[in-house]
Amino acid sequence: MRYILLILMLCFAAACSTPAKLPLATDNAGVDDEKRLWQRSEDEQKVLTQSGLIYRDDQLDDYLNQVARKLQPPEILEHIPFKIMVIKSPYLNAFAFPNGVIYIHTGILARMDNEAQLAALLGHEMTHCTHRHALKTLRHFKSKSDFLVGVQGSLIQFSGIGNLVNQLGALGSKAAVSGYRRDLETEADLVGLQLMAKAGYDPNEALRLFEHLKRELEEENIQEPFFFGCHPRLQERVENCKNFLKTRYQKEETGIKNTGVFLTKMHKVILDNAWLDLKAGRFHSAQRGAEKYLKIEPNDAGVYYLLGEVFRQRAKADDMHKAKAYYEKAISLDPFYPDPHKAIGLIYYKDGEKTLAKKSFGQCLSLSPHRADKAYIVGYLKKCNQ
Amino acid sequence: MKKFFLIFLLFIPACAPWIETGGSYESLPHNFYVNIPQGWMMLDTDRYLLISGDGPFLQYVLIQDRPIDRPFRNTKKKFNRLMLPQEAADVIIDEITSDQSVLNFEIIENAPTRINGHDGFRVVFTYKNRDGLKLKTIYHGFLADESFYNIRYTAVNRYYFEKDIKTFRKVLESFRLVEDEGNCPGIRISQTMRAN
Repeated sequence: MRYILLILMLCFAAACSTPAKLPLATDNAGVDDEKRLWQRSEDEQKVLTQSGLIYRDDQLDDYLNQVARKLQPPEILEHIPFKIMVIKSPYLNAFAFPNGVIYIHTGILARMDNEAQLAALLGHEMTHCTHRHALKTLRHFKSKSDFLVGVQGSLIQFSGIGNLVNQLGALGSKAAVSGYRRDLETEADLVGLQLMAKAGYDPNEALRLFEHLKRELEEENIQEPFFFGCHPRLQERVENCKNFLKTRYQKEETGIKNTGVFLTKMHKVILDNAWLDLKAGRFHSAQRGAEKYLKIEPNDAGVYYLLGEVFRQRAKADDMHKAKAYYEKAISLDPFYPDPHKAIGLIYYKDGEKTLAKKSFGQCLSLSPHRADKAYIVGYLKKCNQ
Repeated sequence: MKKFFLIFLLFIPACAPWIETGGSYESLPHNFYVNIPQGWMMLDTDRYLLISGDGPFLQYVLIQDRPIDRPFRNTKKKFNRLMLPQEAADVIIDEITSDQSVLNFEIIENAPTRINGHDGFRVVFTYKNRDGLKLKTIYHGFLADESFYNIRYTAVNRYYFEKDIKTFRKVLESFRLVEDEGNCPGIRISQTMRAN
């Protein structure tokens, strides 16, 4: 099996000597079914744009689009106006619409280490567009119903993304979110690697990203789609990537990583995504995200409050002590920050320490008298006085 | 949320059909009594009681007793018996906001309340479905023993929400836990409806 895959890869590598070439026709949206696919993509993008799911950060968008533009020659950019956007979702995914609009989840961005890893992901997703994978998928299925059965069957096993996919339309763009056929995904991997290497990035970082995310999926027992595919195929694809790097890039081990720039641009995403992980009840991921952020911003009271919330909400043995220590650190960094006062108050309140609880709740309300949860806090204070 | 009802319509009728109803109703599997508006339709399943006047796509009231250890669909968080109402409300909000089929979610109110003598919460929120239809929900919930009870009213924001808000309040006021009522003084239980 490994030899067959290797031969397949070499065939692809040979076929992809000009990785950025548009394979079916030079004018995009030139055929009826492709025009419909692009139209459908635009309709679905409108839904996403108005959904409240888009992560709004102009500076981040500019940076992501700059990196994307480095990966493609001008003649391709003329045909496909690539646009990179970010979705507020802690899941490890990214997807491209046939018309060049690529969505990256905060979850996968927050877990990357450098710009080269971002380039690997973008190269992969851009290849789905330049090589018209959605159109090929659509044509592969003889009827719309066959297509839907195929796509939806592959979605059943996934949690998290299925809901997002159901927000999207029924045609080719669904495959963009849920993953393409094995051969198309392999092509996207290999062409993506070529693109990033050609742009000067270290292609070994693609493998590091693969392995890094695979380890996280295993540690967290996460059952969700992954931008390189679902978990059972991951190991196979890690091997593909290793073999490809061995045959093509053995002597080119160095390249651009841009770690510092990347983390500076990404630090807010890392923190915001840790909050999303917490909402999703993924305490370990939230903690890991918060700790990663701390390395960039060690004096941010907000991240200590987040760590306190991780432990308070997880509520395992000894978690409350840890939570309280983080809240106290947050207060020491920013004494005017009301939320940790309230959170400490909750811990005291549940422990029956009414005097201490009253003091903390009082401090919270004095710092933020019109907060949204004022009615709850007033209720706690009344009970403390009884 | 719309897809839930498609599932109801496709699968549920085989085991628990919608019936037109009205008056006091004891949901034996769910351990509560409630007064159903006259002429509304009812669906009592093993997971919830659903009632609607104009059809669940336009408006519905859903009442549920949920075992506290039952996992949620979207968040991995769980209830525990020691949770305060605010903490329980936060779990529900996190469950809803982690569901990517709920678009443009916006909380209008989140406050403590009493539900049939139990300390609970009331969260009012709006959201949009894929078709851009804005819906509004009032979600009441409380923890009691091993269950999380919730009574929620959802309707299309425009016209329908206001139309039946008073009806919902009456339903909410009539809500009683069977175990709280003992021999159930003052509540008439329709024997025909107990057949379920």
